Amino acid sequence: MSGGYRQQPNSARKDGKRVAGKQVFPPPGAGGSDPVMKERDLNFIPESVGGKEPQPAGSHIHDRIRTGTIVGKPLPLVDSNAKVTGQAWYGDDVRLANESIGKILRSPHHYAKIISIDTSKVEALPGVIAVATGADSPNSFGVLPVTKDEHAMAVEKVRHMGDLVACVSAIDEATAIEALGLFEIEWEILEPVFDPKKGLEDTDEPIHWRGKYHLAKTNVQKRVFQEFGDRSLVENPFSSSHGKWTMAGVHHGFTEPHAVVAHWDPNGRLQLYTPQQVPHYTHRALSTVLDVPMHQINVIRTFVGGGFGGKSDPFPHEMCAAILARKSGRPVRITFDREEVYWINRGRHPSNIEVKMSADKEGRISGFDIDALIDGGGFASFGHVTSYYNGVLATAPYELGSFHYTGARVWTNKPASGAMRGHGAVNTRCAVEVGLDEMAEQMNVDPIDLRLANLLPPHSRTITGFRITSNGMREALERVREGSDWDNKFRKLPLGKGIGIGCGFFISGSGLPIHWDPNRFPHATVHIQVDMDGGVTVHTGAADIGQGSTTAVAQVVSEVLALPIEMIHVRSHESDTSPVDLGSYSSRVTFMNANAAIRAALDIREKLLDAAWDILGYHPNTLIINDRRIYYKHDPAIGVSYLQALHKAQEDKGALISSGSYRSPPMGGVHKGAAAGLAPAYSFSAYVAEVDVDIELGLIKCTNVWAAHDCGKALNPLAVKGQIIGSCHMGLGQVLSEKMVYGRTGHLQNANLLEYKIPSIHEMPHVEPIIVESSDPEGPFGAKEAGEGPLLPILPAVVNAVYDAIGIRYNDLPLTPDIVFKGVEKKRKKLNLEEATDLPSPRFTHGPKSIELQKALVKRSEEHKKRDLARQKTEDTSPYVNGVLFGFDPNIPLEDQVEGWRMATEPDPEQLAELGLAGKAWLKKEQRHMGGEE
Amino acid sequence: MLMPPFILHHPSSVEEACSIASELIERGEDFDWVSGGTDLLANYKWRINTKPNVISLSKIPGIDTVSDLEIGCMARLSNLEGSNVHPMIAEAAGKVASSLIRKSATLGGNLCLDTRCFWYNQSEDWRRSIEWCHKADCGTGADCRVIPNQNTLCVATYQGDIAPVLMVLGASVHLIGPNGERVIPLSEFYQLDGMKKNVLENGEFLLKVSLPEDSLSRVGSYQKLRVRDSWDFPEAGVAASWIEGDRSSIKVATTALESIPRIHTEEVSQIIEQGWDDEKSVKSLAGVIRKSVKPVNNTALPPNYRRSVVRVLIKRAFSQMK
Repeated sequence: MSGGYRQQPNSARKDGKRVAGKQVFPPPGAGGSDPVMKERDLNFIPESVGGKEPQPAGSHIHDRIRTGTIVGKPLPLVDSNAKVTGQAWYGDDVRLANESIGKILRSPHHYAKIISIDTSKVEALPGVIAVATGADSPNSFGVLPVTKDEHAMAVEKVRHMGDLVACVSAIDEATAIEALGLFEIEWEILEPVFDPKKGLEDTDEPIHWRGKYHLAKTNVQKRVFQEFGDRSLVENPFSSSHGKWTMAGVHHGFTEPHAVVAHWDPNGRLQLYTPQQVPHYTHRALSTVLDVPMHQINVIRTFVGGGFGGKSDPFPHEMCAAILARKSGRPVRITFDREEVYWINRGRHPSNIEVKMSADKEGRISGFDIDALIDGGGFASFGHVTSYYNGVLATAPYELGSFHYTGARVWTNKPASGAMRGHGAVNTRCAVEVGLDEMAEQMNVDPIDLRLANLLPPHSRTITGFRITSNGMREALERVREGSDWDNKFRKLPLGKGIGIGCGFFISGSGLPIHWDPNRFPHATVHIQVDMDGGVTVHTGAADIGQGSTTAVAQVVSEVLALPIEMIHVRSHESDTSPVDLGSYSSRVTFMNANAAIRAALDIREKLLDAAWDILGYHPNTLIINDRRIYYKHDPAIGVSYLQALHKAQEDKGALISSGSYRSPPMGGVHKGAAAGLAPAYSFSAYVAEVDVDIELGLIKCTNVWAAHDCGKALNPLAVKGQIIGSCHMGLGQVLSEKMVYGRTGHLQNANLLEYKIPSIHEMPHVEPIIVESSDPEGPFGAKEAGEGPLLPILPAVVNAVYDAIGIRYNDLPLTPDIVFKGVEKKRKKLNLEEATDLPSPRFTHGPKSIELQKALVKRSEEHKKRDLARQKTEDTSPYVNGVLFGFDPNIPLEDQVEGWRMATEPDPEQLAELGLAGKAWLKKEQRHMGGEE
Repeated sequence: MLMPPFILHHPSSVEEACSIASELIERGEDFDWVSGGTDLLANYKWRINTKPNVISLSKIPGIDTVSDLEIGCMARLSNLEGSNVHPMIAEAAGKVASSLIRKSATLGGNLCLDTRCFWYNQSEDWRRSIEWCHKADCGTGADCRVIPNQNTLCVATYQGDIAPVLMVLGASVHLIGPNGERVIPLSEFYQLDGMKKNVLENGEFLLKVSLPEDSLSRVGSYQKLRVRDSWDFPEAGVAASWIEGDRSSIKVATTALESIPRIHTEEVSQIIEQGWDDEKSVKSLAGVIRKSVKPVNNTALPPNYRRSVVRVLIKRAFSQMK
């Protein structure tokens, strides 16, 4: 088996000259850069299949296909060379021959009807190539099929300052800018609404009109009511907390502004280049808006300079570019200024959140009430989902006696809010975690112990019916407690220094593909093609937005086929060649795409092993696939090279092709909204933050963070750590300094990166990333998400740490120095102290009762720890649903056991009077129930 | 963002610069001076009060000197950090914006910094939508948006870091123009109007800063309040210095609280007259100065907060002078 092999043995000339058609293939084993096969790396092969990789959380179904090649090893992202050498092509780097420059005319009014638009002067300007207005794009679109409320350009009215009115393309930017000044528009100014509370009231001219489904004449886009559990448990609480929060809207702050290039090729097909997280939705929306079948459109995703949810809607400027290009027959490029990025927004909703929690005398969480009024701005975007997420994603990881949620999203005349990293879960999570701390404070128990004694176990169900599989929450809490030296610091640090805890819980892939029934079509599909050179080309639609999806897909294929990573080439840019993928949102990509990629790779692997079987005569069960070589496991000398096996497998058919897909199992309840928040797996996290508070100036400095995140299995620990540290940065921005400021006239006052204060390197604490691996049974090699969940805990950890430092609970985010100062002054005056530096530090004030409770909590959590381990390893497979902690039998439906057990998605009439701020939306009726107009 | 067109003049001597200026004045053409460009050009991109001509000082040799008693207008801020200048100047220069910006930004530019306001430092579209403001009214005679109906004064905030430090060191500025050179104390350089900003006459520019001998024996501190430790302009700033042991030499100046940086001579002498009693006097001085400054709502943090913290900043500045 040395010296290569030939297509037809013994046919080479003796003089060494080549014979046409009879060339020698590269020597066996070639294909990678290293001529020598690497030994199997047993440290990265799980114990369950004879390796040395420890598996504290038990074995995994993918263990037998581990090859020790790359999974679990730190790997720089495969596209990082292109980025660090400046060769990555982002949206604005696309330069097509004969391009023209597009500019968008934006509304100077917050809310106005367009009476008329006169474009004649614009058209007359030399250098102008094409002009378009709302009349050119009557078809509406939107990211969610249920709320298609956007147009390429305003059709009847503008809904916020900066809303798109018209667009123009010209020979250069200066001409296009000049042209914008020549539009003549007649407006009818309407009364704008800025305050989301006002949005709950009836108005003459609601921002959108939903016909018979419109809620009275309000600006409410979506209202949600959910009530689960035994409400009688809330009566006579042993301890309770009540927080009324105001949280400012925040923006993603990605580096690359939006940019798009549109070109209708000579065959009349649209080629659209755009940095999109979700190219497929853009594809669909383009088809609708342009009235062109989808197969006549090729969406090319450029490199994406950061997304974080802010590039996941189909955008009107993408439509504008396509319309202008169609009109002119020339490519059109539109690049946003930073200000325009803020106008299109889709950042986190400004929120008014009220959280009431209660606990019983055993320290169990009996009541969990959330009311969330969220400010949607001018359009729906992902808001329908956000309205649910604000409630349902806050329940776990805790076992609750009851859960009550009212949520409402209202339209206001501001740039539209949308999805942002940690979508819908961040704000309420912060309020809930701070509420837990407040209860722990009242009960004089350690907040970590309170949490540890109230966790749902692995393989259980939450109060709203989410299926929890793997669950590393307990380990995460234990490890940050130990890492931070919590027990020696909490409530023991001097004034101004504090330490705080926060937990997180997030979906790992939305269980419902927005556009279709998951039982009919898969969530993700991946194609693999292996040609004679041995290189593996992977086609996926997964949009790499810097999170490393390309690397993750390449890694799993590399692992299954035992090939060096440089032999795997991922092609993911074009919709023409990529299988349909739902895109990079809801932290679905690694879970779903890597699973699909594993399946596709397994198909190729099987073909290779069968070919090796043919050559060697040993059954694949006895063969080992290792670095570019397949051999008999009891005698490694008997084997074939990867290329030999490949070429054998390719006989008579050429390139090997395979396809793999992933779809989530059926799950969840049947109540209205049950699908919101469903996911095939959930991530868990716990952070401890340490802060220094300059108590006189009100400045907070976060100094240290211990950040434990359960990502199931770190396919690439380097990338996971990057995500954790990046999440800390982003979350710290929201909790300390970032906010979209709307001034007294309703104008966004800080639409630039100087005044929108993203933390700098100086504000970054030392972050100690701690990876918890709970090995998810359905995740690829056990992996779950690590892109969004890690953001959640940092907010409450900081707010709780500030309390530990100065004894003041803040409910306004961000905690800018003026807010902190105000709180300090208030307390100083209340205590009648001379200086702020005289404020008392919060301390434990243990009494006999609290010591007893603390002991009981510790005992319970120790018992639960054993329970959790047995369940994690599936040694205990008994059913577990939320409510067992309260003494209920998980084998019988809870509503059959407890008289008061409720599962409601609409309020009872007698509840109406007690509903919170957002709950007031339930006082109104839909038009169809009012006998109103259509 | 597209830079609006302008003619860039590149004089190679101070005399040439002055003659270009006087020529432009004669022709009735507007112009701006530019040194590092970190303030002016950013505003130009936003189309804020752009001019058809810009005279750059960057090609004039010899006006970037850095010594302990004289600093040229073209001295880059990065060259002032930790070099042979007064430690207070180094401290303040090191706190300006970010290290990248300090590579470009100059002392002259920092002293002549345009005043700032969130109704003013916005794009053209943005300002059009509020129908402009008093400072950049585009010929409409628009009202002030911070304090409407007073229409005479622009209240944009001066947010330079180095001016208060130079003030408490007793610095003078050398101004030069077609009508010759003049030297005035820096404390008289600024004019309480966010539009006029300072006493520079049309065609004049700030050539250099000189410091008195006794500045070398001064010790002090500059306290800057900002949200982030990089990039951000001061939201409030206090500089204080004295010649060690000599109470009558105490000087205090504030910045970022009004349209001008201001030296608080009266307030200081009022307290000294009452007889100096270290901590107690610092406290009363802080109280008096806090009352005398009148920040308005046009920067990132609210004015009542910025005013309140003046007390703390003064206390801290003095605690570092001991």
